[in-house]
Amino acid sequence: MILSACLPAPAGAATVYETQAEFLARAFSDSPPDPKLLWLSGERKSAVRQILGHDYPALRLRYWCQADRSAWVLEEIGKELPITVGIIIDSSYIRNLRVLTYRENRGGEVATPSFTDQFNDTALLGNGELDTDIDGISGATLSVKALTRLATMALLLHTESNCGSGA
Amino acid sequence: MAPEQRRKIRMRRLHRRVGVTAAAFVIFMVLSGLAINHSNDLGLDQRHLSQPILLDWYGLEGPENIRSFRAGENWLSFAGSQLFLNEKAVATLSNGTGAVFNGEMLIAAGSDELLLLDPDGNLVERLPWGPAGAGKIDSLGLLEDGNVAVASSGQLWFADRDLLSWQPGAEAGMSPLWAAPGVAPDTLQQAIARHYRGSGPSLERFLLDLHSGRIFGSLGILIYDLLALAIAFLALSGLLLWVRGKRNSK
Repeated sequence: MILSACLPAPAGAATVYETQAEFLARAFSDSPPDPKLLWLSGERKSAVRQILGHDYPALRLRYWCQADRSAWVLEEIGKELPITVGIIIDSSYIRNLRVLTYRENRGGEVATPSFTDQFNDTALLGNGELDTDIDGISGATLSVKALTRLATMALLLHTESNCGSGA
Repeated sequence: MAPEQRRKIRMRRLHRRVGVTAAAFVIFMVLSGLAINHSNDLGLDQRHLSQPILLDWYGLEGPENIRSFRAGENWLSFAGSQLFLNEKAVATLSNGTGAVFNGEMLIAAGSDELLLLDPDGNLVERLPWGPAGAGKIDSLGLLEDGNVAVASSGQLWFADRDLLSWQPGAEAGMSPLWAAPGVAPDTLQQAIARHYRGSGPSLERFLLDLHSGRIFGSLGILIYDLLALAIAFLALSGLLLWVRGKRNSK
């Protein structure tokens, strides 16, 4: 009785909207390239910290690049749990942003295309912010902010990667 | 003494007794309520209970077992879903199967993912395990050149130096050294068990449970209900005494 009253409530089950493999297959027409590595260190780490407000919880990231197109799988905490997001960038513009896994109990509306499509064709301004205002969702403010931060981060990393430099 | 006077004295006595009984409860509710209202500012949501007696009360026991692997000069240990580098909790990883050090990075394997850590325990990357056709990770090993090997459902997989890709292979000629649990020092095991239990309920949660009476189970809630009714009685009896006193003074 005491235990049932006192132990933390179990977290809600994660909703997987798309696996990483499915996301990559979609990003690169069923033939994704081998992944590459990008280390988050030095100025790059500082720039990411400025966007997220904290260090990214990993020291290196893998990304997939073909011509000027790159794909990123990033995570950021909305309120308490990480949201896994897949972002496809083409020539410094977001072509698609998709929530791959959503773990929070509330705010799952950010996974709907009506919200994520707002990021399509978004690029970075000179001041490092998105050139498009992203409309929020009532009750999902923290998740909206998390996705906006990840979109900004992915655009920055695209320019930092060989993919962004046209290599 | 007139019956009216006797009733008045009885009422005053009852009011006083209930008041004294409820006073401590009211003071506690006020203080705990204030603390809960400012729990973020006070950092109560970031601090966790560590007193063994309270953790026992919550039913939080130590890990069922601690499996430690020698990784270079360090110990990587699995306790429940926590991964420890020596005494420090560095990440969560379920169903730990092994840990190795390849000279550059610490590598720990769960049944479904691998963690890459730098020698200080900072997370380098979390790798979902999933080469096409692979089952769960059974064992983690190192080749002589420092590359990582994984045994999965009877199949061996070998990674490149950066663990970017996996190739299936046969053990013949490769002879990985498989990670095997060792016997960590007792002091380390005790420290891990202590840290593991320490990540129990936050102080905010503890205060909320105290404030609501839930920490004492359904009996606690019932007692709090009675005390709340006692406070309501105090308000009503106090009002009644005041009205009567006012009437008598006219």
